[in-house]
Amino acid sequence: MINDEYVLAALRLAAGNDPIPAHVSTAAREVYGLRVPRARTATPVECAAIRTSSGPRGDDGSHLVRFVSSGLTFDLEVTVGDGLIDVAGQVVPYPGEGALVDVKTPHLTLTRRIAHNGHFAATGLPPGWLSVVCHRPGHAPVQTRWVRIRP
Amino acid sequence: MHRDPAELLRAAADGDRSAWDELESRFGPLMWAVARACGLSPSDAADVVQGAWLRLLQHLESIRDPAGVGGWLATTVRREALLLLRRDRPGVFSFEVVDDPDPAAAVLETDDRQLLWKTVSALHEPCRTLLQLVAIDLGSRQTAMRLGLPMGSVGPTRARCLEKLRTLISSQEMAQ
Repeated sequence: MINDEYVLAALRLAAGNDPIPAHVSTAAREVYGLRVPRARTATPVECAAIRTSSGPRGDDGSHLVRFVSSGLTFDLEVTVGDGLIDVAGQVVPYPGEGALVDVKTPHLTLTRRIAHNGHFAATGLPPGWLSVVCHRPGHAPVQTRWVRIRP
Repeated sequence: MHRDPAELLRAAADGDRSAWDELESRFGPLMWAVARACGLSPSDAADVVQGAWLRLLQHLESIRDPAGVGGWLATTVRREALLLLRRDRPGVFSFEVVDDPDPAAAVLETDDRQLLWKTVSALHEPCRTLLQLVAIDLGSRQTAMRLGLPMGSVGPTRARCLEKLRTLISSQEMAQ
């Protein structure tokens, strides 16, 4: 497979005509502040149970995505409205008393207590990159892979 | 002190923020160039570059070839950029994490930008001028006017010229 983009990119770098903007570099450096030490990563999976005929999408235009790590499943329902996103989620099995989730974006992290049925919700998040971290007392955190929410 | 990429990855995984900053200094510009070379707008390119850094953050300790992290980042940006260009609907998007970087990404790792220009200068016309215009992001219409080519032939000519350039670069690498 030919990857012309790499040669083109090398030419662009050599020309120096379109350097990386300062705000892009700054955002990249700030990403490090989102690091969750010792976290295990939950990866997205295809799941028949959350698919509809139109794909992993609810009737109200919400989007469903499942992440799985050893012993923990995250089901997220993401709804985009008015340029902001709402996340309703469930962690299965219930991770126990004192468990919290961080719903993270590069600009904002909302911390929520997990209800006894494993549910949690966060509203008014900016679109873009999103990840959810589950903190359980006595266990390493589990973090979903970062996914992009496109409004 | 100049640390190699594998050292920087290890240090960043151990909590060394300066190592992360150094990775950004070294590879951020080429990631931007790849995103823009894929045809992304500045705002989409910024989004994709940030996403590639988020991917790296979650794979600091699991990259198969730490010394090749530059190629891994470039490949991640390219794949994410192409995914973004294909999907114009709203939704939640993820993609498989890169296991093996594209071999073609190695062209970005050379520090010798002057050699690349010399190689372009050694090409016959219209490739020489066309690639110089491509490098400064002149649009197809203006490129066609400058070269006296029909609009429809700019794309195919560009592809042929890039192929010639790639062949020359490869032969230089073989000779080294």
